Formats: sequence, structure tokens, C-alpha cells
Amino acid sequence: MPIDESMVGRKYPAAEPYQVGREKIREFADAIGDSNPAYRGDDAVAPPTFAFPLGSRALESLLADPELGLRLDRIVHGAQKFSYVRPIKAGDEITATATITTVRKAGGVDVIIYETELATPEGELVATCTSTISHAAEQAG
Amino acid sequence: MSAVEVGTRLPSLTVTLRRADLVRYAGASGDFNPIHYSDRMASALGLPGVIAHGMLTMAEAARVVTDWIGDPARLVEYGVRFTKPVVVPDDDAGAEVAFGGTVVAVDNESGTAEVEIIAESGGQKVLGRARAIVRL
Repeated sequence: MPIDESMVGRKYPAAEPYQVGREKIREFADAIGDSNPAYRGDDAVAPPTFAFPLGSRALESLLADPELGLRLDRIVHGAQKFSYVRPIKAGDEITATATITTVRKAGGVDVIIYETELATPEGELVATCTSTISHAAEQAG
Repeated sequence: MSAVEVGTRLPSLTVTLRRADLVRYAGASGDFNPIHYSDRMASALGLPGVIAHGMLTMAEAARVVTDWIGDPARLVEYGVRFTKPVVVPDDDAGAEVAFGGTVVAVDNESGTAEVEIIAESGGQKVLGRARAIVRL
């Protein structure tokens, strides 16, 4: 069964919380060529878009739902937005929960918007990631 | 940051992306989609070649803002549309992406400013509606 509007509101939590480490933050900052000292050391905070890989852990459980029928190789990432309550920092434990907020047909693709809340296990919201993806229902021919 | 007003231009930034940078970002981010390192897989999906992760371009674009404000904790909101992929050839030259930013709104009440970011590669815009809101 392909994805449709009736699936709006479904929630997909990541399998387990993510332990944010200073060396992972440094590795990510190095990979984007960013030498900002805020991303280094014991009190390191993560670059803003580090929120995306943490949120992607929830996307994995969304992709694993057979009822949605989504395939990674048919997905194009159309837009991305982040709202930050505070930076993610070394030592954080971060949970991710994705909620499907929009499903609409546009030509031969399904446009899907999902919001991923990043929070601490105590329930402190840290950031919200809003992703717009398009998913080709059938092989383009 | 005292003289921030509509029209204030942020220092620009030019980044060269080579295949090695994509491999490195794949490892750091955990995004191992083969369209970011395999010509064969990229071609099979109808792409003109291996393309940079949109999230890598978005990360580079954010640097225009965080380099300017210094403290990344002052970034409140940040969003982009991925309008055109950045094709990264398998050579030493790679792909050059140029970023710039302009303040388009200042809200004195909340102490925030909105920045519009421009990202261009090969004379074409690769991000659309790239906006950041920062605390001044």
C-alpha cells in the first residue's frame, strides 16, 4: 500500500537515543570545513546542521514501515528547515521522533513533509527539523 | 553587531567540493547514499553525475551566518530549498560553490535579524529560499 493522506499524524521514534560526543562533533565540523572554535573541546556545541543526522535515525524507522512503501532510492530531498531551542552539545543524549505532517500528490510523485523533534530523554525539546521529500511512486519510464 | 540593518551584507564564502569531501561528509553524517560517490549509481538514477549531499551544501551555507554571528547558539531558525544539485566531478578541480548573505529584516522587539543566503555554483543558484533567523 503506497503512502497517502491517511498516514498524516503517524509518529516514528528512533530506535534509541543518540549519545553526542565531542569527537563526533569535531569530525562533523571538519567534514564541513568549519573551524569555528565553538565546535571543539569539552564544551563543544554541534554545527547547526548536525541536527539532521540525528533526525535521520527517526527517518530510518519511517522508511522501515512497509505500509508507507518508501524507498530511499526514489526519494529526493526537496527542502529542509531547522528551528533551534538551543544547540546540541557534547554530552547530550538526544531522542528523535518523526511525525508525518503532509502527504500530497504532485505529478508523478508524493510530496511528504515530516517533522522530527529532537529532545532529551527528560523531554526537553532541543530542535525541530522539518523535511520535505518527494517520492517517486513508480520507476520513471 | 551594532550596525545590523536591512541591506547589511555578510562576508561571502567560496567553497571547493571534491569527491574526497563528499566521502568525508558521508562518513561524518552517516549518509551513504551511493549517488554521492558512485558515478554508476548516479547515472542509473538519471543524474548528470555524482552530486554533493544537499545537507553538505546547506551546512556550508550556514557558515556564512555562523562565521558572521560567531556564536552558533544565536541561530534560531534556518531553512533552505534544494533547487539544483551540485555535480562534483572526479577531478582535482572539483566544484566551486559561492555563498553570500544579506540582512533582509531586523526585528528590534525580539532582537533578531533575518538573513537571506545566496548559493551559486557554475553560475546557477543551487539553494532557494535560504533564510536564517539570528539573535543579535
